[in-house]
Amino acid sequence: MNDNWTNRLSEYIDGELDATEREALEAHLATCGHCYAILGDLRQVVARAKTLQDTAPATNLWTGIAREIRREQAPARRDRLVRRRFSLTVGQLLAASIALMLIAGSGAWLALRPQPVADGGRLGNREALARQVDWTGRTDEAIADLQTALAQNEKRLDTATVRIVRQNLAIIDRAIADARIAVQNDPGNAYLNLHLATTMRRKVELLRRVNDMAAARS
Amino acid sequence: MPRQVLEDTLTADSIAADSALAASGDASAFERLYRTHVARVHTLVRRMLNADEADDVTQDVFVRAWQKLSTFRGEAAFGTWLHRLAVNVVLARRKSVGIERGRFITEEAPLDEARSKPVTLELSMDFEEALANLPEGARQVFILHDVEGYRHEEIARMLGVVPGTSKSQLHHARMALRRHLDR
Repeated sequence: MNDNWTNRLSEYIDGELDATEREALEAHLATCGHCYAILGDLRQVVARAKTLQDTAPATNLWTGIAREIRREQAPARRDRLVRRRFSLTVGQLLAASIALMLIAGSGAWLALRPQPVADGGRLGNREALARQVDWTGRTDEAIADLQTALAQNEKRLDTATVRIVRQNLAIIDRAIADARIAVQNDPGNAYLNLHLATTMRRKVELLRRVNDMAAARS
Repeated sequence: MPRQVLEDTLTADSIAADSALAASGDASAFERLYRTHVARVHTLVRRMLNADEADDVTQDVFVRAWQKLSTFRGEAAFGTWLHRLAVNVVLARRKSVGIERGRFITEEAPLDEARSKPVTLELSMDFEEALANLPEGARQVFILHDVEGYRHEEIARMLGVVPGTSKSQLHHARMALRRHLDR
C-alpha cells in the first residue's frame, strides 16, 4: 500500500523537504510501518549506489583512439592551431606580468620557508623523488619543444609583446628554480610538489598561448 | 600527512602535468591520462547506454577530449572535466540515435515493469543488472544523481527537464531497485 508520503521519501532522504514537510513526514513515519520499512530500503539503495565499482573495458581501446589522434595530429591539428585567433593585448600581458610577479614572489616565499615536520605517513624521499623526476622530466621536454617553436615564431610578434613575454618567462623560470630547490630538499612534501607542478604548467600554458598567438599572425 | 593523501596529491600533480603536456600535443601524456581514467568513463557509458555501445562511445569520448584539450584550463580537476564531457557525449549519442521514445516513464511504469518480472529472476538479478533494466529516464537520473553525485538542477539542465521530473524519476528508480538489494 502506498500513500502520499511514500512518494516523498526520496526527497526526505536527500534533505529536500522544507521544515514543515519534514516534520509532517516524520510524524507519519512514527505511525506507518509500511513507509518506515520502505524508507529503510531506499536508504540501502542509496548506500549501495555509492559502492558500485568501476570496471575497465575487456579490450584495449587505446589502439583505436591513438589511430584517431594520429589522424588529428597530422595537418588538421596544426592547421586548427594556426587559424585559432588569440586576443591577448599588450595591456593584458602587462597585467599578467604583474600577477605572475605576485604569484612567483609568494610561491618562492612559501617554497623556501621552513616546512613543518609532517607525520609518519610520508612517502619515502627516494620514492617521491623518482615520481617527481618522472613528471618534471616529461614537462621539461614539452617546455623545450615549445621554446624551440617560440624561437622560430617570435619574429612574428611585435617587439613590445616579445619583451613582455620574455619578462614573464623569466619570472616563471625563477619561480620554477626556487620550487625545484625546495623539492630537492624535501621530495616527499606534497605542497612543494604541487607548487612546482603548477608553476611548470603555467610556463607550458604561456608558451603555448604565445605560440598560438604568433601562429595566428602568420 | 597520511600516506594515502600524499600519494593522491602526487597523483594529482602527475595528472595536472600530463594534462598540460597533452594539451600541448603530447600523445604519450594523453595515453597516461587514458589509462588512469578509462575504467570510470567506460563504466559510466556502459551504465548510461548499454554494453554493446560502451567501447565505441568510450573511444569517442577520449578522441573528443583530445580535440578539446586546448579548452581545458585547469580550473577543475582533469577527471571532473573529462567526466562531464563523457556525460555530454552519452546524452548527445542518445539524442542522435533517437533513444527518446519512452524516455521518461509515467508514474507507475517502472514499478509495474519491475513487478512483472518473475520473482525468481528478480531474486537472482544483481544490482547492476537491475539498474541496466530500469526504464531509460529513471536509469539516467539514478546514475547521474546517486552514482555520480550530480544535483537535480544539473541533471535537469543536462536532460532538458524540470528538477521535479528528475526527483520523481529518481524516486521511481530507487523504488524499483530496492527489490534487488543484496540481502
